[in-house]
Amino acid sequence: MRCWYFSEMAYHPAWEAGLQRGTLRVVLPSSNFDPPTAHGLLNRYLDEFALCDEVGLDIMVNEHHSTVTCMTVSAPMALAIIARETRRARLLSLGTPIANRPDPVRVAEEMAWLDVLSGGRLEMGLVKGAPYEIQPANSNPATLMRRYWEAHDLILKAMSTHDGPFNWEGEFFQYRSVNIWPKPVQKPTPRVWMTGMSEGTGTLAAERGHVVGTLLSGGTAKPMYDAYRKRARELGWEAGPDRMAYAAVVGVGATRAEGLRRADQIADYVRTAPVVAEQFTNPPGYNSIAANVAIMKAGPRAHRIVKDRQGNTIDHRKATVQQFMDTDTVFAGTPDDVFNQIRLFNDRMGGIGHLLFFGQGGFLDHNDAVENIRLFGREVAPRLQELDAQTVAAAD
Amino acid sequence: MSRAISVAGVSLELEERGEGRPLLFLHPGEGLEPRREWFDLLARCYRVIAPLHPGWGNSAVPNWLSTVDDLAYLYLDLAATLMVENAVLVGACFGGWVAAEMAVRDTRQFAKLVLVDPLGIKVGGVLDRDIADMHAIPREEYMRLAWADAAKGERDLTELPEIELAAIARGREAFALFGWKPYMHNPRLKRWLHRIDVPTLLLWGERDGIVSTSYGEAWRAEIPGARMEVIPDAGHFPHWERPQDFAERLVHFVDSN
Repeated sequence: MRCWYFSEMAYHPAWEAGLQRGTLRVVLPSSNFDPPTAHGLLNRYLDEFALCDEVGLDIMVNEHHSTVTCMTVSAPMALAIIARETRRARLLSLGTPIANRPDPVRVAEEMAWLDVLSGGRLEMGLVKGAPYEIQPANSNPATLMRRYWEAHDLILKAMSTHDGPFNWEGEFFQYRSVNIWPKPVQKPTPRVWMTGMSEGTGTLAAERGHVVGTLLSGGTAKPMYDAYRKRARELGWEAGPDRMAYAAVVGVGATRAEGLRRADQIADYVRTAPVVAEQFTNPPGYNSIAANVAIMKAGPRAHRIVKDRQGNTIDHRKATVQQFMDTDTVFAGTPDDVFNQIRLFNDRMGGIGHLLFFGQGGFLDHNDAVENIRLFGREVAPRLQELDAQTVAAAD
Repeated sequence: MSRAISVAGVSLELEERGEGRPLLFLHPGEGLEPRREWFDLLARCYRVIAPLHPGWGNSAVPNWLSTVDDLAYLYLDLAATLMVENAVLVGACFGGWVAAEMAVRDTRQFAKLVLVDPLGIKVGGVLDRDIADMHAIPREEYMRLAWADAAKGERDLTELPEIELAAIARGREAFALFGWKPYMHNPRLKRWLHRIDVPTLLLWGERDGIVSTSYGEAWRAEIPGARMEVIPDAGHFPHWERPQDFAERLVHFVDSN
């Protein structure tokens, strides 16, 4: 199992203002934002990313818009800096919301440039994006996935075509001359990642051999991984753990109490991230007709909860660390605790090859963040890497 | 009665009631709601033909059909297929936008046009919001803006059968498909409203908070000879909220010379 450190570079000083207003996204004005404070935070967060390279962790960056939960507005911009500050870490952009980007060729150029800059260390997430990203991007939710697939196909063709130019006259994108420079180091393209929460996404990712990732709920992840494996078998290949990724909060400490405390602080990210004004949580067309029927039948606000392993419903906005551990949202404790929790989780999921490690959630201070990264990188990640070898050996 | 008809390769669901002069009614983004009183009031006087816009009924919108232009041509084809003559074209809210797009293209089969709180044109500057952003406000605020008396519009969705819920979900998706960007208007439509060459009545809910009566005045100013009447105690859907008043004004306009 590879381990990827991940931080949204939160602007937590404004969380309270957002909670009071009932939304941390889309409509919280930037009068709540102090640039000098953010200057300090951004530089600190980038230092924390750089540390990952020293302790043998890979790195993941994402992006959100119009929100206090995530200051990263451009995954490639953040990765460009991180690429220069690291030597070994693989760099995962997870990712670019390509259905919200007006110019897929520009995405292809930026990804190719990053791959060249980093010497072929890029992993390329092409994501649908969260529902509340629709409003800031003003992209049409009713055609979101059609636009996603057209952009996806165009980006991969642009990066893998070296006898261009070619023209593209699609439903959403039109170019007369696509001929990107530079071309990427990795052939035909850096590995592609998708994110999702449904069996449908698992199936579609399997048809292309992409890595599929999901976050914060084992109950949602398992059916998606199973759908992926099933579809791969139908297509005549066996999907290994390297196609499955899972994002969770991880708190490691010298003692169990210290690990739980760190996880509790990072988990504030999970508690705040879903606090979004209701009207931006389900734009028309973003979810399937069947999902919308279920939401309407359940009544207002009833859909924002996940279930733990015993089938109890957990509200992410108010959950305790223990409840988060019961939904596989959080792994926490000593290095041994965390290793054992992830090992059991890995078994339950049928083998996952990538753990995306939320190691920063706002109020966790720099010293704690550094210790969390060091302990995880040195005492947990190497044992998780061996887990793959054991799984493979057992399978043989 | 309900029936399906194929027009330009699209299967349209129609609700049709009444006899006499044909009246083609194009429904709001919220849906047709043929069980409300307005429909029978109109059907007493006319042969009311009310298609469900593609997506608002039981079938998905074909991928190629994605703009209000497409709907305008589709309904011009429908009118030709049904061979309506001397007909009345009525559109409310989103349906008003579609009706106006038809009327600037071709009025051969229509003798009168009635637009009820239509969306569809841009009047103010870049920072002016002519049309309330129905998708960026809480449901309660939307109801307050869209109805003079929001209680008249409330529905308990949890009680509806799944087939109706699916139609509602599909309709919401289709409304976004056609109207998301530019938001619920065609930046060029206002320029062509001068082409409308049939007598036109604008009916406007006095307390419409989605598109105000001053927005209605802008429509009136652009359509040659158009008249505007304001319906008291009505919001964005006067045909639902004040059906008698709505029907009387419509009939008076249609039946006068």
